[in-house]
Amino acid sequence: MMEDIKEHFVEYVALLIGMAVFVVLLVIYRFDKDALLIISGVGSAFYVAWGILHYVLRKRLTRTIVYEYVLFGILVFLLLFTVFSI
Amino acid sequence: MPFNLFKEKAQENPAVIKHWRKNPKSIEKYQFVYNFLPNPDKKRRASLISNKAVFIYCSLIVIVTLAFRIIPKFAPGVLGYASNINVKDLLEYTNGKREEVGLSDLKLNSKLTLAAQEKAADMFKDGYWAHVAPDGAEPWDFILAQNYDYIYAGENLAKNFSTSKEVVEAWYKSPSHKSNLLGANYDEVGFAVVNGVLNGYETTLVVQMFGRPREPSMVASVYEEESVLKESVNNSTLEPVKGSQTSALESSSFSPSTVVSTPKVDMTLAAKSISLAFGGFVGSLLAIDMWYSRKKGINKFTGQTFAHIIILIVVIISVWFVLQPGIVL
Repeated sequence: MMEDIKEHFVEYVALLIGMAVFVVLLVIYRFDKDALLIISGVGSAFYVAWGILHYVLRKRLTRTIVYEYVLFGILVFLLLFTVFSI
Repeated sequence: MPFNLFKEKAQENPAVIKHWRKNPKSIEKYQFVYNFLPNPDKKRRASLISNKAVFIYCSLIVIVTLAFRIIPKFAPGVLGYASNINVKDLLEYTNGKREEVGLSDLKLNSKLTLAAQEKAADMFKDGYWAHVAPDGAEPWDFILAQNYDYIYAGENLAKNFSTSKEVVEAWYKSPSHKSNLLGANYDEVGFAVVNGVLNGYETTLVVQMFGRPREPSMVASVYEEESVLKESVNNSTLEPVKGSQTSALESSSFSPSTVVSTPKVDMTLAAKSISLAFGGFVGSLLAIDMWYSRKKGINKFTGQTFAHIIILIVVIISVWFVLQPGIVL
């Protein structure tokens, strides 16, 4: 795993920056339900796109991996939506 | 456990097949661990974090979220928002925000307080959440009904919040509410914090009414402010009103200072618990998967476990520390 991170350092930095921006936006707009919906949706989509791109660059993308990232993206969105939609 | 692996194991060690024949339950046990650990034979994740399992978790979360919307229609007042909101704190936080930008403090006015209470009672009675009532009554109508002759007036609404600080912070974060909160044209304010059942959910409504009287001499004195607060303290704790609009109306005749709402099921706690339970469960299994695969040298054809764990940690932190219930209008 560490070898993979070292080898694709830029990809992981992009993921961490994306997540940091995601958290900062959630904090700033924590009282705005519409903004939270958009931020969560875009954040989840970013993660799915990152995952797919990660495997495209390695030429190892399979349908199962696409499903996996899409499902994790949906899970992330739903975990947030359950709380901010109440 | 896959049959091939069973065969291989048995070929490796004939004693294994003998043992399994004698103890068929041990085969089940052997198979059971792959619900939690990655399968070295199939080069897959644990069954409980397979794509199929994640799809089931997503479906369950959707079902629970839908249940939160449906239950109040059949059992009003069961679901609700626990709160502990205080008029004194609302006034202090409001004036604190004004002081930060060099504005004068707002005085608590008894007529604006009564107007706010009437508005809150009206929303519970007619089951609406808006500045303009279904019958067309506007905020100014409630203020004028208390014989408060104003030149400027405004209204902020909030519901489902847990604390006074969160209410004022949410108003402050919203540009339109912030302009009321920091309105230089206002001298006085009135608050209503009332519990009741609105659209099936037990909740606490907060109404904040601003005003500047036509006659400057009518601005509330320190004595009036103290008497309004004192009256509030005398009725400091109000038990939650369950399912009755009449009770909500009756309660609004008080000037509650601290309103404590304790519904049967606290929506905030329930939603956060569900989110954390699913997120924590999947995250823990992924962490076990990463550790076990490394230990046993299992190379799986799956997505990046490390990235999944990181995103789930971000979600858990956000759910626990950042996201709070509450809507302002």
